[in-house]
Amino acid sequence: MIKLSKDSKDQLIEYCKTKGVCLEGNILKVLDTSDDPEFEEYVKSAIEKDTEVRRKRLDMTKQIQAQNIELTKWKSENEKINAELTDALKSMEQAKESVSNDLDILQKKTQYQLIESIVKVSLWIVCGVGVVTTILFSITLITGMENKIVESMWSNMFGILLTNSFSIIGTIMGVKYASEKGSKKCKCEEND
Amino acid sequence: MIDSILLVDDENLFHLVFEDACSLLDITLSLKSLNSADEAERYFKNLIENGSPKPDCIFVDLNIVGSSFDGIELIRKINFEYGDGVVIGIISSSDDKSEQAKALKAGAQFWIIKSDDIEPRLEKFKHDFDGYLNRTNQFKVYR
Repeated sequence: MIKLSKDSKDQLIEYCKTKGVCLEGNILKVLDTSDDPEFEEYVKSAIEKDTEVRRKRLDMTKQIQAQNIELTKWKSENEKINAELTDALKSMEQAKESVSNDLDILQKKTQYQLIESIVKVSLWIVCGVGVVTTILFSITLITGMENKIVESMWSNMFGILLTNSFSIIGTIMGVKYASEKGSKKCKCEEND
Repeated sequence: MIDSILLVDDENLFHLVFEDACSLLDITLSLKSLNSADEAERYFKNLIENGSPKPDCIFVDLNIVGSSFDGIELIRKINFEYGDGVVIGIISSSDDKSEQAKALKAGAQFWIIKSDDIEPRLEKFKHDFDGYLNRTNQFKVYR
């Protein structure tokens, strides 16, 4: 225990009375008050004051601590929600991209189908014209009719047909190849 | 009353709670609080180098954020490298049995569950302290 001189004790008591400033903290617990009832009273009241202040501070600190824990929880929950939203946005963007790709493929497929139909119709027309001209030329040959115009027409027609038919066949092959590639791509995406 | 206590905990607010609770319960006259396990290790090294007296009791948090090792490792280090007669234990919000077993193996003598109402546990610990000092008390969890 710490023993203070009479002067020091009196000064401390006086200072507390006039200025309201008293000793505080654990030092109060080690002061020897055995032979001085006035100083004993001073220490007792200082301890009571100190206890009151500490109790208040402890309650406030606990409150702040609890709020701090709540805030930390909210922060982690917010981060979790944010991550979920980012994931959802990503998957939506992926879905949008996939739909856009599908639409593009569908449009291309329709275009190829249209080209295929045009080529088919053109081929039928060309073949039909060829057949009709050949029949006409054959009739003129059998009947012995004047056939100079039909003859030149038939030879011209066949020349044109031969050259054009290769280009038509080329176009058909191209369209077929493109269609097959498109359908294969579609199947691959479906499998993915 | 315990002469000197060392608290190792990363949470500054808990330092205040612990200090006020100890003062209100007359547990100790001198309390030192450190923020990390590394800081505590340095503190013990200095004490040994200078021949200064060690704290009578040490409370260590289990997960000390910002430290290169956890509370159990700090207890092991203090007990086997710097300790000798120091009452040491964990103060944590965790009640994990496996961690408690690890702490016991590392030389912890007690485990206090940290919560809003810490005072009753500290009061019980205060009553048991002499048993820990004499090494007659078994490892105990204060819930």
